Amino acid sequence: MQPVVLLISLILMALLSTIFLLAARASRGPGPGPKANAKRTGLIWALTILGVIVSVGSLRSWPHALASTSDALEVNVSGGQWWWDIDTTEIPLGKPVNFNVTTEDVTHGMGIYDRDLTLLTQVQAIPGYTTQITYTFTEPGSYQVLCMEFCGVAHHDMVNEFEVVVVEE
Amino acid sequence: MSIAIEPGAGAPAATAPQAGAIKVTMILSGAVFTLMMVFGLIMRAAQGQWIELDPALFYQILTAHGAGMVGTAALSGAAILWYFSGRHVVLTAGIFWAFLCLFLLGVVLILGAIFIGGFGGAWTFLFPLPALSGGAWEAGAAAAFMLGYVAIGVGFLLYYLELGRQIHARYGSLVRALGWNLILGREDDNPPPPTIVAAAAVTIFNSIGIILGAAVLIASLVHLLVPGFEVNALLAKNLIYFFGHVFINASIYMAVTAVYEILPEYTGRPWKSNRVFALAWNAVLIFVMAVYWHHLLQDVVMPPWMLVVGQLVSYFSGIPLIAVTAFSTFLYVRGSKMTWDLTSSLLVLSVAGWSVGSIPASIDGMISVNKVMHNTMWVPGHFHTYLLLGEVAMAFGFMAWLVRGKTISEMGTLDRAAFGTYLAGAAGFVTVFLFSGAASIPRRWAVHYEEWLTHDRIGTVFSVLVVLATLVFVVRFVTRLGRNED
Ligand code: HEM
Ligand SMILES: [Cu+2]
Ligand SMILES: [Cu+2]
Repeated sequence: MQPVVLLISLILMALLSTIFLLAARASRGPGPGPKANAKRTGLIWALTILGVIVSVGSLRSWPHALASTSDALEVNVSGGQWWWDIDTTEIPLGKPVNFNVTTEDVTHGMGIYDRDLTLLTQVQAIPGYTTQITYTFTEPGSYQVLCMEFCGVAHHDMVNEFEVVVVEE
Repeated sequence: MSIAIEPGAGAPAATAPQAGAIKVTMILSGAVFTLMMVFGLIMRAAQGQWIELDPALFYQILTAHGAGMVGTAALSGAAILWYFSGRHVVLTAGIFWAFLCLFLLGVVLILGAIFIGGFGGAWTFLFPLPALSGGAWEAGAAAAFMLGYVAIGVGFLLYYLELGRQIHARYGSLVRALGWNLILGREDDNPPPPTIVAAAAVTIFNSIGIILGAAVLIASLVHLLVPGFEVNALLAKNLIYFFGHVFINASIYMAVTAVYEILPEYTGRPWKSNRVFALAWNAVLIFVMAVYWHHLLQDVVMPPWMLVVGQLVSYFSGIPLIAVTAFSTFLYVRGSKMTWDLTSSLLVLSVAGWSVGSIPASIDGMISVNKVMHNTMWVPGHFHTYLLLGEVAMAFGFMAWLVRGKTISEMGTLDRAAFGTYLAGAAGFVTVFLFSGAASIPRRWAVHYEEWLTHDRIGTVFSVLVVLATLVFVVRFVTRLGRNED
C-alpha cells in the first residue's frame, strides 16, 4: 500500500507545484479573464465530488472491522516501559488474528513489521483500555513489534518478535 | 524597473502599527527559528549516525525543537496579525508587551525544564508520560515545562482578548467581523477587510483551543502533585490534540494576513473580502476544530463517528485552502506584471507550500492509509511542508518586507541564491521524510536501523541548505533593520 500512497501523493504535489510555477510565470502575461469565478465554482464542485467518491469508497467497509471471535485466533499483547509481552509466539498462517492490546503505564503504539521492515498494521495502546485489531498473515516467517507512540527514553528499544508458521490441519 | 510605494500607505496615523515591538518580536523569532533548525539538523545527523547523541539528549532536543518551533511559529504569526490588525483597529501596545513578556517567561521555564531538569516528554506532553519518565526526569521538571505552557497560554489569551475587544468595538460584533453580512448578502457600508475576518476567526478558535489546553495542563499538573488524582488518558489525549492541532494551525492562519496585506503592493490589486472569502473563513473556523480527530485514527476505542469526521474534514479542509486562498493568489498574480523580490517570492511560495503540504496531510487522514502511515516519518514529512515552506516562509517574507524600504526592485544575486537554496533545501528535506514514511520508518526514534541511514543522511544534507539560507534571511533582516533606523 505505501508505494501507491507515495506515488499518488508525489504526483498530486508535483501537479500543484507546477500550477503555482505557471501562475507565477503568468504574472507577465494577460490578466485573468471574465470566466475566473466560474472556474472557481467548477473547482469547488470537482473537489467536492471527488471527496465524496473517495470518502464513500474508503469507508464503505470499516477499516477497523474485527474478525468474529469464533473463527479468529486471540492474541494478547501488553506493553510497558520498555517491553512488549506477546502471549503467543507462534501464529498460524492465513488465519485471522485478533490482537488485544493493553498497556501497564503510558500510551504506546503496537506496530507490526514484516522481515523487510514494512509496517503492516498498528493500533494505539491506551492506559485503561483494551484496543483490538485484526490481521491475517499471508507469509510465514518472523515479524517484529515496534513501538509507534513516543513513550520515553527507551521508546526506540521497545521491540519484540513473533513467528508466523504453517500449520498442517 | 522599480516602483515607489510607501509601506503601510493608506493607514491612518492614529492606527499606525506598533512597528518597534513587532520588529523586536521578529528578531527574536528569526533567532529562535535558526537555533531550532540547528537542533533539527543535529537530530537528523544523529539519526543518520554521523554524530553520536545520547538518546536521552536526543529526546530532550526533540522536545525543545517541537515546543520551540510551534511556539515560534505562533509568536511570529501573532506579531504579523497584530501588525496588520493595527491598520484597521486601535490595539493597546501594553498588551503586546505583556504577551511578549509572558511568552519569554514561558520560554525560560521550558528551556530550564528540558536542559536543566532533563524533561524529554515531547511537546505533546501526552498524559501520563510527564509523570512516568522511567527515571529520566523528576516531577519538578515536568511541572516547570507545563507551567511554561501555561504562561504562554495566558499571554495568548490576553492577546486575543484585546484583539477580540477592539474588533468588537470597531465592527459591532465578531459575527459581523466574520463577514456574515457578506454571506447573507446584506448591505454593509463598513465590511471587514480580510485581515479582520482572519483575526476574528482565529480569536475565536484559538481561544477555545488554549482554554481546553489549559484544562488538560492543569489536570496533568495536579496529577503530578497528587498521584492519586487520575485522569482518563483518552480524554486527556483528545484535549491535547485539540489544543495542539488548533494552536499550530492558528499560527498559519495568523501569518497568512501578511499575504493579504503585502501582496497587493506588488499586484496593484487589493485583496478584498467577498462572499466566497467569508464563507471559506467560516468553514475554516469549524473545520479546524473538528479535524483534530485525525490524530486519533488508531485509537480504535474512539466512537467511530468521530474517526469518520476526522477523515472527512481532513479532506474537505483542503477545499477552502486550494479553491479560495491558492486560487485567489493565482488570480491576483496573473497579468499583474509584479516584481519578484525576496518578499513577494517568499509570500507566493508560502501559499504554495501550505497548499502542497495539505495533500499528504489529507491522504494520511484516510483511516486505511493512516493504519500504515500513522507515526511514521510521513507525519513530519507533511507538517514540515506547510510549516517550513508555509508559515516560516510567510514570516521570512514579512521580515524582508519590514526592511524593504520604499522601492521594489528585482532580487539581487544574494537574495536569489538564498531563496533558491531555501526552496531546494526545504523541498528536498520534506520529500525525504515522505519517502521515509513510505518506507515505514517510525517517527521520534532516537536510534535508527542500518536500513534507514541513507534516508537520514540525505535528509541531513538538505537540512544544511535550509539552515544556511535561513542564516542569510535572518542576518540580512537584522543588518538592514539597523541601517533603516540610522
Ligand atoms: C532545518 C530545518 C528543520 C530540520 C532539520 C528539522 C528536523 C526535525 C527532525 C529531525 C524532527 C524529528 C523527526 C522524528 O520524528 O524522528 C523534527 C520534528 C519536528 N519539527 Fe522540525 N525541522 C526543521 C524545521 C522545522 C520548522 C520550521 C518547524 C515549525 C515551524 C518544525 C517543527 C517540528 C515539529 C512540531 C516536530 C515534531 C516534534 C515531535 O515529534 O515531538 N521543524 N524536525
Ligand atoms: Cu514507545
Ligand atoms: Cu493535525
